[in-house]
Amino acid sequence: MTARGRSALLAWTALLIAGLVAAIAAPLAEGAQTATLDVKFSPERLGAPTAISFGFEIKAVGGGLPSALSGIDFHYPSDFGLGTSGLGVAACSPATLSERGPKACPRNSIMGAGSAIARFQVSPEISEETANLALVAGPSRGGYIDLLISATGISPIAARVVMAGLLLPGRLRFSVPLVPGVPEGPDVAVVRVKATIGGNLTYYESRHNKRVAYHPTGVLLPRHCPHGGFRFNATFSFVDGTQAQASTVVRCLR
Amino acid sequence: MRKALAALAVVGGALPLAARASAPVAARASRTVGVRDEGRLRFVADNATQIIDEGHVSGTLPGTARVDFTYNGSPTVTARFVIRAAGGSLYGRATCRLSNPTSPMPSFRGALAITGGSGRYSRAHGSGELFGVFHRRGYALVVQAIGRLRD
Repeated sequence: MTARGRSALLAWTALLIAGLVAAIAAPLAEGAQTATLDVKFSPERLGAPTAISFGFEIKAVGGGLPSALSGIDFHYPSDFGLGTSGLGVAACSPATLSERGPKACPRNSIMGAGSAIARFQVSPEISEETANLALVAGPSRGGYIDLLISATGISPIAARVVMAGLLLPGRLRFSVPLVPGVPEGPDVAVVRVKATIGGNLTYYESRHNKRVAYHPTGVLLPRHCPHGGFRFNATFSFVDGTQAQASTVVRCLR
Repeated sequence: MRKALAALAVVGGALPLAARASAPVAARASRTVGVRDEGRLRFVADNATQIIDEGHVSGTLPGTARVDFTYNGSPTVTARFVIRAAGGSLYGRATCRLSNPTSPMPSFRGALAITGGSGRYSRAHGSGELFGVFHRRGYALVVQAIGRLRD
């Protein structure tokens, strides 16, 4: 190939790469929200049972109230032992959870807890509410573990919403119901969530006709860490039709 | 404490029971043998989605069994197993469908294949069905299989 030919090829290659980068980056750049994701293990020990804490934060580009969240698609390493965790050995119906809260659910259906901060506009000001989260096993759909999240807020607005999620290998997918704000105002926006799967939970089992308490095992971590660490990422979908993506890596444990 | 309990059974009807009990499966002439084994296995180890149980099995091919059970949250679970019987070992695998995963003891059922063996079972192969129960507390397994063994 001549020098001129090589130059032309390089130019076309550069254009192609630039076009591909622009095509990939465009949907993210158009998003009106940004998201960050954080994941921690407790304890941090390969091959051991652990509690997985995850948190995310959503911000509107340029400040203000972000659009309401409509869905979360969370990806975790598929060799994590969520199915073998021993968590959620009973099921709670979404109706019970929604109407009476997690305390009305079987103790053995509770898989974790957390908190969320939601913001809503009471013109012209933006108010904030903290909600308690409960992660609860719901009735199985198609053999998969159904994970329900109830968010219970007390003040200034007493309300409870239940999000339905599906635990797939390496993936947790939630749909988030809309919580209307004040009339004519924007929907309530979730801006921060912290939750833990596992942790200090007490379950009960029947042994020799006695009800005996025990602590469920927790999520089993693999014995080996992939190169670069355990990768997590999430795609957040919003009511305004945009998406935001966030990822994080938990470095290899020693 | 993690305890495991497993039963492994291979059931069939190609030969009378007495013949089944005494026939060396990997004899010179090719034959089909219906087999039934049952056993109780104990939890040995895990690697996150993988649970390993071992223990005695009884029935047509008495001995010990090691089951490598994988459950990653999908209703499709897999089990690889080795049965060490008198005169040799049998290797196999099964792919099953797990039901009711939010119960303390979900059950599963699916197809199994005997993929090979050693010693008197070195030419063995076969197919059948595997049934079982997975004790989510303590990783116990109760497994039952139905099939035919050929050499």
